[in-house]
Amino acid sequence: MPKTDMPSGALVLLILRVLRSGALHGYAIAQRIHVLSSEVLHVEEGSLYPALQKILLKGWVTAEWGISETNRKVRFYRLTPAGRKQLETELSEYGRVNQAIQSVLRTA
Amino acid sequence: MNELFRRLRYLLHRRRFDRELANDLEFHREMAERASRPLGNALQLREQARDAWGWTWIDRLCQDLRYAARMLRKSPGFTAAAVLMLALGIGVNVAVFGFFDLLVLRPLNVRDPATLLRFHRRAPQNFAFALPYPEMAFFGEHSRTLSAVLALNTTKVAVEGEEKQVDANFVTANFFSELGATPRLGRLLDPVRDGAPDAAPVVVLDQGFWQRRFGGDPMAVGRTIRLNGKQATVIGVADSEFSGLSLNQSASWAPLTQQPYFAAGSRLLTDFGDSGGVRMWGRLRPGVAPKAAEQELQSLVAELRKRHPGEIWEKESLPSDPGGYAKSMMIGNRSGTGSESQNELYPVFAMVATLGLLILAVACGNLGSLLLARGVAREREIAIRVSVGAGKGRLIRQLFTESLLLALMGSLAGLAVGWAVLRSLMALTASPAWLNPTPDWRVALFALGIGFASAILFGLTPAMHSVRQRHRATIARQILVGAQVAASCVLLIVAALLGRALHHALSSNPGFAYQQVISIDPGLAGHGYSPARAQAYMDTLRERLCALPGVESVSLAVSPPLGRRAEIAGVDIDGRAVRVQINRVDPQFFQTMKIPLLRGRNLIRGEAHAVIVSESLARGAFPGQNPLGKKFFMDENDTIVGVAGSARLVKLEDSDSVEIYLPIASAEMPFASVLVRTSAAPEDVARSAAATARAVDPNTFPEMQLMKTEFRQKLRGAESSALAVSALGAIANLLACLGIVGVVAYAVSQRTREIGIRMALGARPAHILAVVLRRFSRPVAAGLLVGVAGAAALSGLMRGQLYGIGNLDAMAYAGAIGVFAITAVGAALWPARRALRVDPMRALRHE
Repeated sequence: MPKTDMPSGALVLLILRVLRSGALHGYAIAQRIHVLSSEVLHVEEGSLYPALQKILLKGWVTAEWGISETNRKVRFYRLTPAGRKQLETELSEYGRVNQAIQSVLRTA
Repeated sequence: MNELFRRLRYLLHRRRFDRELANDLEFHREMAERASRPLGNALQLREQARDAWGWTWIDRLCQDLRYAARMLRKSPGFTAAAVLMLALGIGVNVAVFGFFDLLVLRPLNVRDPATLLRFHRRAPQNFAFALPYPEMAFFGEHSRTLSAVLALNTTKVAVEGEEKQVDANFVTANFFSELGATPRLGRLLDPVRDGAPDAAPVVVLDQGFWQRRFGGDPMAVGRTIRLNGKQATVIGVADSEFSGLSLNQSASWAPLTQQPYFAAGSRLLTDFGDSGGVRMWGRLRPGVAPKAAEQELQSLVAELRKRHPGEIWEKESLPSDPGGYAKSMMIGNRSGTGSESQNELYPVFAMVATLGLLILAVACGNLGSLLLARGVAREREIAIRVSVGAGKGRLIRQLFTESLLLALMGSLAGLAVGWAVLRSLMALTASPAWLNPTPDWRVALFALGIGFASAILFGLTPAMHSVRQRHRATIARQILVGAQVAASCVLLIVAALLGRALHHALSSNPGFAYQQVISIDPGLAGHGYSPARAQAYMDTLRERLCALPGVESVSLAVSPPLGRRAEIAGVDIDGRAVRVQINRVDPQFFQTMKIPLLRGRNLIRGEAHAVIVSESLARGAFPGQNPLGKKFFMDENDTIVGVAGSARLVKLEDSDSVEIYLPIASAEMPFASVLVRTSAAPEDVARSAAATARAVDPNTFPEMQLMKTEFRQKLRGAESSALAVSALGAIANLLACLGIVGVVAYAVSQRTREIGIRMALGARPAHILAVVLRRFSRPVAAGLLVGVAGAAALSGLMRGQLYGIGNLDAMAYAGAIGVFAITAVGAALWPARRALRVDPMRALRHE
């Protein structure tokens, strides 16, 4: 499996995006990104947990106790309204930059 | 904001959040194992994640602090020496800053100090720090920007049973209430009861005077006291915490409107002329800027000038200073023509602060050497820590934390030392009780700040050297030794200069003979004498004094030598602003003060427009020319008729002072003092002279002084500063010597083997010593050079304080360098002797 490095800003965007549909625990976040990217993107634990702590500090997500599918007590991360707003702005920003890059790539 | 709040929550509940994070990772590990993808180092992952909280540095700091505390506790001797050195160095600076804080930065203990302004008069050609009472009263009546106008006048009064006259303050009746003062006992003056001109005479006593005179008896309130023989009722005692907006320690306060009652004949309240005047403060109305008040007073004074064109100056303005600080009291009562003299406070502080910083520099240099030596001793420890993976930055931070901890302890000890020094100095100089030397937050902050700065000075370089494992930090050491030598040289030279100056002042002639002169100030102007009456009084007094046995000659002077009063004119000589001391005297003055007339003739009684200049002024103003017959530039009509020997009558300490002598005009007669030269000891004549003066007019209270007592008093300041700087110099010298002992001893121990080999090969003792000491001769010589140059530059600031000694006085420099050289050589030889006792066999076997 090819290992693809991810810019740190992009990781935050992806985490916020996968949390939009509902609360997930850390392992599930990594799995979801891995699966949804057709197994191209692999989230290292070494960057996932620092990023989660940073997002917690920013107040974009909250953590709450829940029960995992293996019947174990674990924290689930849930998007806050502030996080939702952040996701919208980051998405539109990403779209703008992406479009700009695309247009350079097409015409240059 | 929210994020900061959450961050703090993470700091406070660190343990809980850490547990939760650990649980997350543990779960992750379990899940990963199911997918048979093993997780990395869980602990490291946790630390990485925790870094996001941003509190890692606190953990590291705590760790470093704990380690540093343990290391310092393990070597108590080193720690004690380091803290002691720092306490001395920081303490001196804390004392200096504490004094500066007291005078300049700390608001006075009065109500609302920020809206209090002190006013003075200024015009293009004149300035004065006191206002005529009617001018002040006019402002009080008409000002709209000021909610209150306060005024104070100090008059000397005789109190029955007191040998010396005391200062009595006369203040506007709103003085105490405006300043929010509370009485110690009884009541204070208030505008309702004591404001009216016909109110019964009352006084408020100063707490110190009350304790001295009445033994602190509460029954003193209500009693009658006589000032200048005039009765007044004591209504209360003011608290000693109350500054009274003046630095002089007055005995009492009475309403300003009653001043003429106590000083019989005084025209203070009606006179626009020079009858002493009052100091004026204004209380700004809420929301008014000082500039607005100044503008209003300027337009008011222009209006007043229409009515009193002679007394109010043309283009007069009333600049203000913040009145809520002790500094505003130091302005005093000066007045004069030309521009105001520069504030002399700041250069003095700059000088003293420089000396203090030099001490600190020596202490830091010394401590730096100690730390370097310690760094070498800890080489093994550091090598081990590097090999188990400690980063350089981390190690430097840890070593520097040790220095910071030392600096913190030094700051706290220095704060105590500074407080003790300041307190004892203030007790010695009998400072007013309301000047409280207890450090406030500014002083505490200063102590911490200067501690941190010294930690950088003494700690950073040794820390970097130790970590880089550069064993022979020779250059750093040599620079440190050189810096210590330079700093202590400067201090020693300054001390030597002050000592020489003091010796010179005591042993040499200041240009006039003061030992056998009595000065008597009858204070006629304060009693409303007209010029004609004053002339008659003086003639009578002179006649009666001359008839006394033991009196050699009698003379008059408006500003008696060494006295408090001085008249100064700023004139321009070849583009240089020169401050000329003006003396208004009668012809007998030169004979009485034994000032030689070098050229020309004496003044003639009753003549006008003749001046005598001092030789120093003649030299400066007319170099290479005959000054006789020249016009003097202060007044076109004045012609120079004679040249007198230079005599530093007013500023004893200033060798650059120049004097001119004008005949007393009759209008100045009420301000004159009488000078009496005695043929025998002046003490014998003093009593009868005082009685004679008192008898001419029983309404006056002449103040008598032996001029030699005044001379002593003038020198007391110089004595204590010479003593203080000598003490600083001795401390610096001691510290520098300790530093030299340390580095030489270290060099000897480092080179024991080499010395052993040299001895085995037959080197002579002198050669061995030269080898050991050669390395230090260069930094010491360089330090000496820098020190001498620094002292030469710094002492330029003190030119005016050296009593006629040049600031490059060869004796002082040679003496100071000699003292330093002897102690430094001693300090170097003592440990170097050990080098001679090295046993070659043992040294070689030592490996």
